[in-house]
Amino acid sequence: MKRVFGILTAAVLFSILLAACGGSGGSEATETAGQQQDGPVTVTFWTTVRESEAVALKEIIDEFERQNKEIKVNMQLVPFGEAQNKFRAAAQAGNGPDVLRSEVAWTPEFAKLGLLEPLDDYFQDQDDFLDAPLNYSKWNGRVWSVPEVTDALALLYNKKMLAGAGFASAPKTMEEFAQAAKALSNGTDKWGFYLRQTEAYFSLPFVWAFGGGLIDEQKQILINTPGAVEGVEFALKLRDVDRVSPRDLDAANSYQNMNEAFKNGSAAMIFNGPWAMTDILSGEQFQDPTNLGIAPIPAGPGGQTGSPVGGHSLAIYAGSPVKDAAYKLIAFLTSAESQAFLASKNGTLPTRRSAYDMPELKENRMISDFQAVMEAAKNRPVIPEGGQIFAAFDPEIQAIYKGEKKPREGLDAVAQAWRTLLGQ
Amino acid sequence: MATRSNWWIAYLFLAPVIVVMALLVFYPLLQGVIYSFTNMTQYNMGSKFAPASWEFIGLKHYIDLFSSMLQPESVFRDVIIQTLIWTFVNVFFHFTIGLILALLLNRNIRGRGIYRMVLVVPWAVPSFISAFSWTWMYNQSYGVFNILLAKLGFAPIPWLGDSFWAMVSVIIVNIWIGVPFMMITLLGGLQGIPQSLYEAARVDGATPWRQFWTITLPLLKPVAATATVLGVIWTFNMFNIIYLVTRGGPARSTQILVTYAYQEGFMNWNFGLAATYGVVILSFLLAFTLLYQRLLKENSNEGVYY
Repeated sequence: MKRVFGILTAAVLFSILLAACGGSGGSEATETAGQQQDGPVTVTFWTTVRESEAVALKEIIDEFERQNKEIKVNMQLVPFGEAQNKFRAAAQAGNGPDVLRSEVAWTPEFAKLGLLEPLDDYFQDQDDFLDAPLNYSKWNGRVWSVPEVTDALALLYNKKMLAGAGFASAPKTMEEFAQAAKALSNGTDKWGFYLRQTEAYFSLPFVWAFGGGLIDEQKQILINTPGAVEGVEFALKLRDVDRVSPRDLDAANSYQNMNEAFKNGSAAMIFNGPWAMTDILSGEQFQDPTNLGIAPIPAGPGGQTGSPVGGHSLAIYAGSPVKDAAYKLIAFLTSAESQAFLASKNGTLPTRRSAYDMPELKENRMISDFQAVMEAAKNRPVIPEGGQIFAAFDPEIQAIYKGEKKPREGLDAVAQAWRTLLGQ
Repeated sequence: MATRSNWWIAYLFLAPVIVVMALLVFYPLLQGVIYSFTNMTQYNMGSKFAPASWEFIGLKHYIDLFSSMLQPESVFRDVIIQTLIWTFVNVFFHFTIGLILALLLNRNIRGRGIYRMVLVVPWAVPSFISAFSWTWMYNQSYGVFNILLAKLGFAPIPWLGDSFWAMVSVIIVNIWIGVPFMMITLLGGLQGIPQSLYEAARVDGATPWRQFWTITLPLLKPVAATATVLGVIWTFNMFNIIYLVTRGGPARSTQILVTYAYQEGFMNWNFGLAATYGVVILSFLLAFTLLYQRLLKENSNEGVYY
């Protein structure tokens, strides 16, 4: 009897695991189709903005509903960390939301899965959009989403601290960057630069500056090319030989620690994006916001530079019964006025060129500083697998910064994993 | 009276259980085992918008996995070793600490009810809340442990940033969470041991130590054995703590089979391979359970004292 009990217990636990893996059978798909043409239609909109950002978004949606009496918007906040899987599961079962705010790297993946509606017939004024964010919307010869906001890593620096060490402006080259970082470090509690070592994303600027890359349009893997290796070696040397950055391999806390160190003045420079501005400006070092410097990533020996472009775009679910209304909402949310409004309220970066010329953004120093960063920014690979490349990359970069693997070995392992991922 | 004519009543009573088990346990189990022989990924699994196009590939996943163990740098081998370390260190401490606490609480001390309640708290707190609190305390730069160490004049410990310490950290969290269950179960077992045995032993002049070894431990065995088997199964499959505290890092050094299966299934979307991990996990637990039951039966002296 006990044996049976043991087997059954194991079987139950195991099947729970498998049932979770087993995907969702389409049987329980509740169809929302058959919207009445008369009477208002409802557009369900899943957005991944934080609650603080949703306030401004809600204002825009209210305005949209005022102008379009026949459309009701049902906005739902879905936590960013869950949205990718939640949409996938709901959409494959046949009940996705009409409009999804999708991280840029998810779009090609969802498109390949057939979950998105191509927007070629809808999305006309593409010329007004910045190239890098727009690239993420295109895959396999079609357009799948409209870029809503964009971002990229910038070099954030503490102006007073750099000036105190004799650097009047932001470092332009990696050499100057290393010098400034060295001048501002004492190796124990003063750090010239705080490198985030648990996420590969934050090392990408070094990879590009030294001539490396990720995966190109032809699906060629560039992550273990000499330039990429040199970039990671440079970052490693900064930490271990020049001792400008603390060793921090605590994945759960390192992002917070990096920002904290920058905010309280124990680190003079970090890489971070526009999403972090509100948090950083709350720090004691930035009571005077002009003390915060925002500069493009310093250029490498060959004059190259780059920082990963991220952001979010709006896409329509392939099974949506109200596609026209859904696109109306998307067009409204991505208009230059809406983008400028969101940018001035939330500090996000518009994706339309014309939005940067709007009066409320012309005056905004953060936005114009970040515009310079965006111009030098680079796309991550626009491929269906683009959303998964960090699953193999992060542990390897951790192994490199842990000293377990040489940069070359670690990046070779990443390339190997990516070949499997791409089916090469 | 069980006669041939009313057997059907037994089947009638069993039927709901059998139906529910078949739907919730055996069907998914079978499905999972079948998936482990396919190349199913998110692209070929089929959905409302695309027909399913996965194929059977036989034992390929199993062959790939186990042949990768022979390579010098095998992640799969590391993960298995880490899983075994994680499981047995955890269950060892769950059992010993749980037994010590149970023995203490089984004596006539004042405020026993209060102690018992307080000691159950870790189990009552949702595990993700525990995990987040511990993550803050482990913070290398701003966590309470390193601040305390610094006050006492010791060097800070990279709790979650070093392979060894990260494993120690997650194990400590899981011990904290798992001890109350073991304690309560063992306490229940202890209270079921008749006092008369101890009285008789005392009359015969047995020391407390002797009483513990010849009365308490043997009579606790049925309860302890069940609790240990459950503990091993739960710990082996404990996903939350590792996922929330270290995310399997740094550099995969705290990945266990379940977190690794999750990564394959829900980050790389390889359902076939993830199902293979599931079968591997099941096989490990089945083998363990059967072996353990056999060992217990071999040197069982259950019933001797009654």
